Amino acid sequence: MFGYLLRRVISGILVLLAVSFVLFTVFAKGPAQPALAYCSKGVCTAEQLDIIERNLGLDQPLLQQYGTYIKGVVAGREINSGTLSLDCNVPCLGYSFKKFEMVTPFLLDRFPATLSIALGASVVFLTVGVAVGVISARNRGKPLDRGLQGFTMLATAIPYYLVALLAFLFLVSKWGLFPTTEYVAPFAESFSGWFKGMLLAWLVLGLFYTTAYVRYSRGSMVEALNEDYVRTARAKGLTDRRVALKHALRAALVPVVTIFGLDFATILAGTIFTERIFNIQGIGLEALQSIGQQDLPVISATVLIAATFVVVSNIVVDVAYAALDPRVRL
Amino acid sequence: MSISSAGLENPADALEPDPSADTALEKAVAGRSPVQQAMEQLRRDRVAVTCAIIIVLFVVLALLAPVITWLWGVSWKTPSGDVVLSSTDFDGLPIVGPPKGDFTWEHPLGLSPALARDNLALWLYGARTSIGVALVATIASTIIGITVGLIGGFARGTLETVVNWTINFFLSLPFILVALILAPIVIGYYGSEPGKLTVAQFASLLFVLSVFGWMPLARLIRGEVLSLREREFVQAARVIGVPTRTILRRELLPNLVAPIIVFFSLSMPTFVSAEAGLAYLGIGVTGYPSWGQTINDAMAANAFNTYPLYLWAPILGVLALVVALNLLGDAVRDAFDPKTRR
Amino acid sequence: MRLKRTATALAAASLLAVAACGGGGGSEDSSDRQTLGEGGNAGSGQDAEAEAPAADVEGATAGGTITVNANVAPETLDPTRAYYTDSTAIMSGLVTRSLTQYKYDAETKEMVLVPDMATDLGQASDDNKTWTFTLREGLKYEDGTDVKAEDVAYAIKRSFAVEELPDGPTYNQTFFLDGDTYKGPFQDGDDYAGVETSGNDITIKMARPFGDMAYYASFPSFTAIPQAKDTNPDAYGNKPLATGPYKFESYQKGQSLTLVKNDQWDPATDTTRHQYADEYQFNFSQDQTKIDNVVLDDQGVGQTTINYTPIAPSVYDRAQESGRLAIGTQPCTFMWYIDNTKITDDKVRQALAWAYPYRAAWRAGGYIEGVTRAPSTSILPPGTAGRETFEAIEGQDGQTTDPAKAKALLKEAGAEGFEIKWPYQTDLPESVKAKDVQAQALTAAGFKATPVAATSDTIRALQSDASADLNIRSQGWCSDWPSGGSWFPAILDGGLVGQEGMPNKAQFKQADADEQQDKILDTLAGTEANDAWGSFDKFISQKYHPVVTIGYGGVALVHGSKIGGVGIDNVRGEPTYSDLYVKK
Repeated sequence: MFGYLLRRVISGILVLLAVSFVLFTVFAKGPAQPALAYCSKGVCTAEQLDIIERNLGLDQPLLQQYGTYIKGVVAGREINSGTLSLDCNVPCLGYSFKKFEMVTPFLLDRFPATLSIALGASVVFLTVGVAVGVISARNRGKPLDRGLQGFTMLATAIPYYLVALLAFLFLVSKWGLFPTTEYVAPFAESFSGWFKGMLLAWLVLGLFYTTAYVRYSRGSMVEALNEDYVRTARAKGLTDRRVALKHALRAALVPVVTIFGLDFATILAGTIFTERIFNIQGIGLEALQSIGQQDLPVISATVLIAATFVVVSNIVVDVAYAALDPRVRL
Repeated sequence: MSISSAGLENPADALEPDPSADTALEKAVAGRSPVQQAMEQLRRDRVAVTCAIIIVLFVVLALLAPVITWLWGVSWKTPSGDVVLSSTDFDGLPIVGPPKGDFTWEHPLGLSPALARDNLALWLYGARTSIGVALVATIASTIIGITVGLIGGFARGTLETVVNWTINFFLSLPFILVALILAPIVIGYYGSEPGKLTVAQFASLLFVLSVFGWMPLARLIRGEVLSLREREFVQAARVIGVPTRTILRRELLPNLVAPIIVFFSLSMPTFVSAEAGLAYLGIGVTGYPSWGQTINDAMAANAFNTYPLYLWAPILGVLALVVALNLLGDAVRDAFDPKTRR
Repeated sequence: MRLKRTATALAAASLLAVAACGGGGGSEDSSDRQTLGEGGNAGSGQDAEAEAPAADVEGATAGGTITVNANVAPETLDPTRAYYTDSTAIMSGLVTRSLTQYKYDAETKEMVLVPDMATDLGQASDDNKTWTFTLREGLKYEDGTDVKAEDVAYAIKRSFAVEELPDGPTYNQTFFLDGDTYKGPFQDGDDYAGVETSGNDITIKMARPFGDMAYYASFPSFTAIPQAKDTNPDAYGNKPLATGPYKFESYQKGQSLTLVKNDQWDPATDTTRHQYADEYQFNFSQDQTKIDNVVLDDQGVGQTTINYTPIAPSVYDRAQESGRLAIGTQPCTFMWYIDNTKITDDKVRQALAWAYPYRAAWRAGGYIEGVTRAPSTSILPPGTAGRETFEAIEGQDGQTTDPAKAKALLKEAGAEGFEIKWPYQTDLPESVKAKDVQAQALTAAGFKATPVAATSDTIRALQSDASADLNIRSQGWCSDWPSGGSWFPAILDGGLVGQEGMPNKAQFKQADADEQQDKILDTLAGTEANDAWGSFDKFISQKYHPVVTIGYGGVALVHGSKIGGVGIDNVRGEPTYSDLYVKK
């Protein structure tokens, strides 16, 4: 178990190193000269470019730049901004010369908004998804099953951004059924404001993911209901409801939980559409904006953070799966 | 939105598969191969047949787009400035055809706002783009998925680690961010060559979709191979000296057909939706019509209030295609998966 | 002044969907449509006697939060760098006071230049080479400390630091003493002979006569910045110290800005501003469809929202019916800058003016004819003092496309199939559409059309790069003050050719033109200078055709039913922020 975990962690770290290195190479060797992004009006004289490149350390060999970056993540470093020298603390993800802020604290600031979306949406799609999945499985092949399946399928067949945009335009703007979507700090400012501001985003994103969870939970529920021990339980004379909820559901939930780990990481990695359409200032919106402005340190940081979430959740999910399912040995 | 999330993965395979866990297909009983049995069941499934017909219809329409538009005398291209001015009102809404004019057979679906392009032609060529992109990306990611999955299943030692690691590497890259980063790079390289730009945009769209679409299949295949290679019939073949290539072809591939077909049929709809989503973010093809771009343009033109036909024609296209592909995919899965076979 | 620009690839409407002014126009049924009047005087009025405090806006009530939405975002809110129509309107209207300021006159709907931190509009020496401003008593920063004349002097010196703080106005370099050598306090230290203080007096010395200094002093760069607070000049714009009625509470660049009341601001020292709302909430880089509908649907927060992005054409009818549409002018001209070093034959430049699909390009590009775009002839927009009305090419009224004439000219020049390379933005649908129509028209006129793809971010670099493979650059310019003096020396001066950032996008350099410019700058002032610029416009336009003017613009802004005090600042084409209030 321990050896397995260690192997996974090392492999995960290697993945993250590779991700950051690929990003580095793309930006350094791509057509967008990174230093150019910091010139006034997009154009600099050769000397100005030199100064900027020196400040950014872009005149160093690629590997050395990369080394500096990684060192910063692990041990912090010092960054020169024009006339100033700034301390960048661990984990240092660089300094944005577009926003004139350190990237790490700045993204940490945005994180609660993204976390709120992920948490709320998860509650929606887990409860609704599993409930509908179970109902569908128990009524397999009947009209109710087909109807529920058809509805969730239709809901996700329309591209997500369109559903979100139309939901905002009609439910918030036109009919005023929901308050304006926004992120309000739940503890520092107002809990009810937070809830009201996020509600629509949770519902829309949650319903979008629900389809997949209806599928997963229906599938594994159908499987579980066919298992021998369920048949035995039924033979013992337990009611259908009791069998389904007590025995089959527990087994059926295992794969659902593992998929959930990965989806949760994906949502955390940046819900670009949700944040943009509902005006919630989280990591995804920041990523989108920094790409528009070619703010390389922020772009790299968001991609790296996204990759970290996926890698970590992968490991957690596998370990959790092993703990939940005795058939799996690590 | 991740393109690998919507139902492509079989939950049980989402983790590192345990070689000894036996999830293999049951062997066919009645002397017919599993594929034959599955096809038999599909033929009897009315939903599956209807969906297949719808899909074929879409494909035919897409293939015949040049012919139909030629016969109808319409084009998706921008007309001359004079025509733009005479066909649209001051606010860009068409006065030839809906919403400000009467229905006309010359343009049965009306004209697009501001540019007065023919919507029928836009729709047909949009279908071409959507189906084409989804199909090519699906084929590409299927091929990558099968290759990597097979290597991962058979390899041992370093190679196995490398394959595993590669799968994890691609899984951990955020798909939309990479697509967003790539778009301006492509434009930077080919911006001054309009002809090449469209090709390059198509290529990068296909590249992004396929590079981020193959991992679930690779994992599925790898899992299948891992469990199959320990099975008696494979072991026996190996003992009597059958070459690996033959084992692959004779013994393994038939057992892998099911997950491949399921993946294929469920990938297509995800890619159709993904194209539309990317268009909203300003990524994708600019010199050629696509459903995603029409929807995006319709939203920008407030078509949901002023000109519903313009918005709903491409949405219905996406909706019908995605639902049909999904239902067919489900039917295929049911037919091929012995556990859910009825 | 530059037009505000898009911040992210997602801002749906185009950069050019933003500006200008001019007479009613189109040939279509504009009968019942609200259209622009003539350009007004675009802020050329002055009132040196304006008194503080400012008179209340009729019916104004205090309290509430005003939400302001836009599909674009200011690049920077550093007062020294703020040079876009949106950033100057926000900063000058609410946060940073400057020596002079514009005040909205609700009766005439005009902006009038009035004293702000200074007691008057400045005292000029006879030769206009020395200007003295006197600070009012009782001015305070948000932290309660006093505003000192030295702080204003520091802010002025700071605006010379164009390398550290780029993108700001550049008249310092042209007019101020040692403007060509002094590089600001960060490189050359505090020692600058051009600005002196004595008590409350600030004296600015010029290298050449500068009659328009009072206007220039209204820019946010003429605010007060305490040197001690400017420890990291790059980051100062993230939270500039307020002197006006509102201060920064939180600012997320490119996304949002929250302003709250500044309790240190004393209305008795301010001739223009009010402090009605408790809070201003700016949301930038929003989806245009979303913000248009939020205001027009008028539900909840939408009722107290105003958009500074002009509406999309498709909601125009709805907006007009709602009665909450404000239409106004903006002193801007949009141009196709012809690269005069690459298109050297005057006949080809004239052919371009006949080939350009004016009205179709407006339609395709998302402008409303007669409202947000109007036909343009002279480079100087209506409302500019001294402007002459003329046609650069006989019969070309700024909206006529005639491929036959273009073809004939090309044939005469022996340049059939001449290749035109101009940039467009692939991520802005309006830009792509306009490009389609432009390409059609150019081809029809016998040119070879090669549109060059860029994104909303890269187009800026492309258009500022003289070595880029383009021969047309498309951009708008707006008056910094209503005189030709804020146009030609800034954008069509031969001395600018070769400068970084390519301020002269036409690469226009003709000895006789430059000679005339120098003569006006060095010897003329006031009305004489204004008239001379008007004639200069006619001279270069008719002799050289250095640009194709592709339209004057206007703004059409919508607001919620509970927003009062809405006026259009016709100097910038933005809402008059400090007059806004929330209706009870």
